[in-house]
Amino acid sequence: MAVKPQREVVVLGVGLHPFGRFPEKDLTQLAQQAVVEALKDASVGWNTVQIAYFGHVYYQGMSLGEATLRGLGLTGIPIVNVENACSSGSTAFWQAYWGIATGLYDLALAFGAEKVPKGPVAVTAEDSPERLIGADHMMAGYALRARRYMEEYNAPSEALAQVSVKAHDNAALNPYAQYNKTFTLAEVLESRPIADPLTLYQCCPTSEGGSAAVLCARDAIKNFAPDNGRHVTVAAAALATGTYSVRGADHPALNPYRKEASDQAYEMSELGPEDVDIVQVHDAATIGEVQQLEALGIVPRGEGWVATQTGRTRISGDIPTNTDGGLLAMGHPFGASGIRMIHEIVTQLRGEAGPRQVKDPKVGLAHCSGAGDVTTIHILKK
Amino acid sequence: MSEKKRIPVVPSRLKLLNEEGTEGVLLGVRCRRCGEHFFGSVVFCQNCTSGDLGPVELSNHGTLYSYTIVRRPPDGWRGNVPYILGQVELPEGPHVLSEVVDCPLEGLKVGMALELALLVGGEDAEGNEIVVYKWRQAKP
Repeated sequence: MAVKPQREVVVLGVGLHPFGRFPEKDLTQLAQQAVVEALKDASVGWNTVQIAYFGHVYYQGMSLGEATLRGLGLTGIPIVNVENACSSGSTAFWQAYWGIATGLYDLALAFGAEKVPKGPVAVTAEDSPERLIGADHMMAGYALRARRYMEEYNAPSEALAQVSVKAHDNAALNPYAQYNKTFTLAEVLESRPIADPLTLYQCCPTSEGGSAAVLCARDAIKNFAPDNGRHVTVAAAALATGTYSVRGADHPALNPYRKEASDQAYEMSELGPEDVDIVQVHDAATIGEVQQLEALGIVPRGEGWVATQTGRTRISGDIPTNTDGGLLAMGHPFGASGIRMIHEIVTQLRGEAGPRQVKDPKVGLAHCSGAGDVTTIHILKK
Repeated sequence: MSEKKRIPVVPSRLKLLNEEGTEGVLLGVRCRRCGEHFFGSVVFCQNCTSGDLGPVELSNHGTLYSYTIVRRPPDGWRGNVPYILGQVELPEGPHVLSEVVDCPLEGLKVGMALELALLVGGEDAEGNEIVVYKWRQAKP
C-alpha cells in the first residue's frame, strides 16, 4: 500500500437510526437522525464538521447527502455521495478516515442510510439479460457457496443455521435491531426455503435504517471536543476490490476467501487475527459469517462451522461475532450497514454495550463486502 | 415486415448455429500471454492485463461445481419456479452460471457431468425469441 497515514485518527462519536421498516419516513429522515445522534455522542457542533461522506445504494433522488444535511444548516462544506453496494457506508467511513489521515481535514462525518425495496436482491437492472439467465440473485450466490462448502468440509446444514440462532439471540438484546425475536434451530431450518440450503431466517432481511460516525485527528481533538475518555482509535482502514479468480468472473457473491483488504489492514495496524477480541463480519447469509471468519484467519479454513457449533462465536465465546445481531437480525439497510458495524465495535470497546457487552475487548474488526467484489476492513482499538 | 428470429441471450457468450436456435456454442476469449480463458468478452486479460487476446469456442460440457434451488426469483425471470441454478466448471476453467433443466432434484450431485442445453428464455421488444444457454445431465 502506497499511502501511509500521516497521523492517528479517532472515532469521536457514533449514532444510529433504528433498523426496521419506517414507511412514514423518507431516506433523509433516517440519515438525519443518525447524524444528529453521532454529533451529540461526539459532543461536537455541526458547524465544525469539515467534510461529509454519505453511503447509499438505491436511487431515491439526487444529492441525498446534501438533502439530509441541509436541515442542520448550510455551512458550505463538501458533501460526497458514495455508492459501493453493501460496502457503501464503510467506504464513506474509509474516505473520511483517509481525508483526515492524509492531513486534508481534521474533523469529518461519515454516514449511511437505505430503504431497501422488498423482494430478492439482484445487482443488474431489471431489463438486463442476466435476469433471463437466472443467475443474478444475491441469495442464490450465497447458496451456491453454502452447498460447495458443505460438500468440501462435511459441514451439516445445522451448523449454518446455528449462525442465525446466535444472531437472533444477540439482536434480542439490541433495541436498535429489526428483529427482537429468538428462534430455535428447528425454527430456522424449517423456515421458508429461499435458495437451498438457505432458508428465510438464514438470509438477511430487507431493511431501512441509518448510521453515522464522527472522525477526528487525534492531534486536533482539543479544537473540537472535550476529552471524555470515550474516543476509539482507528488502527486500520482498508478498501480493496478482488484480484482475479476464475469463479468470480460472473457473480458478485462467489468470492468467499478474499484477502486483499484484510492483508492491508493487518499490516497497517500491526495487529493479527489473534489480537482481535470482537468481530463484525458481512453475514448477509449464514454462510457469509462462517467463511469470512476463515478468510480473516481468525479460524482455520474449513473450521468456521465448527466455531459456530461449539459456541465460540457467541458473546460469551472467545471470538464474539456480530454481537449486535449482524445483517441477519439487526437488519441490512445497505448504505447503513458498514457504519453500523463500526458503531457496534465502538460501543463494545467503550464498554457501553449493556446486556450484549463482551468482556473487556481491546481490539475490534469490522468486515463488509459488496457486489462488484468490494471489501472494506476497519480495525479499531481502545 | 421483418421475420421474428431466435437470437442468443448475450451474443458475446453464445453463438447459434442454426435458425431454430437448437444448436450453438459457448464463446469466450483466450489470453495469448498467460493462457487463461474467459467466458464472454473482456477488453484486457483479467488475470495478467494483457491486451493480446483471441476469440475461442468453449466446451459445451462441464461439471457441476455447486447448485441451488431458487424458490423466489428476482423480477425479470420468465422461467419455471422453483428452478435449479447450477455453477458449472468448464474444462477450460471458467464457471458458467445458469439453469439446470430436466434433472430431478434428487439426481443433483456436486461433480456430475452436464452438457449445454439451448432453450427459449424470453422475448425481446420486437418479439424475437431469446435463446438462453442452460445445462442438462450429460448423456452417458
